[in-house]
Amino acid sequence: MFFEPFTDVVPSFFGWLNQGPLTLTIFLHTIIVLPMFWIYFQEKKKLEEA
Amino acid sequence: MAKKNVSVWTSIPFWRRSAAWVTGFAVVLLIWLSFDTLGQISMGTDEDLKSGVTKRVPGPTVINYNIDYKFSKKRGSEVPIIGDKEPFFGKEWSVEDAAALLHLGKLTSQAKNCMNCHTLLGNGAYYAPDLTKAWLDPTWEAMGYFGQKTKEEGIAHFLQHPAENAIHTRRMPNLAITPEEAKGLVAFLKHMSSIDTNGFPRNFSKTVEQFKQGGTNAR
Repeated sequence: MFFEPFTDVVPSFFGWLNQGPLTLTIFLHTIIVLPMFWIYFQEKKKLEEA
Repeated sequence: MAKKNVSVWTSIPFWRRSAAWVTGFAVVLLIWLSFDTLGQISMGTDEDLKSGVTKRVPGPTVINYNIDYKFSKKRGSEVPIIGDKEPFFGKEWSVEDAAALLHLGKLTSQAKNCMNCHTLLGNGAYYAPDLTKAWLDPTWEAMGYFGQKTKEEGIAHFLQHPAENAIHTRRMPNLAITPEEAKGLVAFLKHMSSIDTNGFPRNFSKTVEQFKQGGTNAR
């Protein structure tokens, strides 16, 4: 199963994200990389309009 | 109007903003993780032990309880099991006395520099055996507690006379540990073995044969 039931001793957000293989890594990369697309297109627009 | 042919990849503001975003996010994440860790490493209380609340680090009075190590299929690793009460050096320790004894043990472990050869909770060296779960080591029983009646007395005896009771070719030297300090160290080791370390050190409860068969020594 990709998502396992929470088994850690002390409940924590990161513990919950870290239950499956690579789930924490995939989550963190997604929220870091997605806004960079937005930054890219904003800068592109600025350069085109300059 | 045709759009200008622009290169975002060579634009300095793009890289500057990306770097600021990644650095800023990492700073917030690390601060969050630091506070998240506090909840994981804060010590439990005597009430937690009495009411059966599971904490990663139990309170000092855990030395009054039997500690076992069992393989949890759900967790995928061995977990310490705090069982029934058992006397520690022949008595039940109060909250204050247990905390004081544990503190003495911690200071002694630092003064005698155990970490110079041993590993405690992942910190230290691997010249000598890992001490994280040393209390649960079946070797103490196998050695007949060095002629003492109980496990704690046996370990305390060993700590005061390690060179004479060497069980390994890498002999532990005599460190002039006093009887009181030895008691503290045993309490320190017992408490440490009750800490839920997500199964660290890995395969502690397995012998070589059990490891080959995929079994475990943890009951």
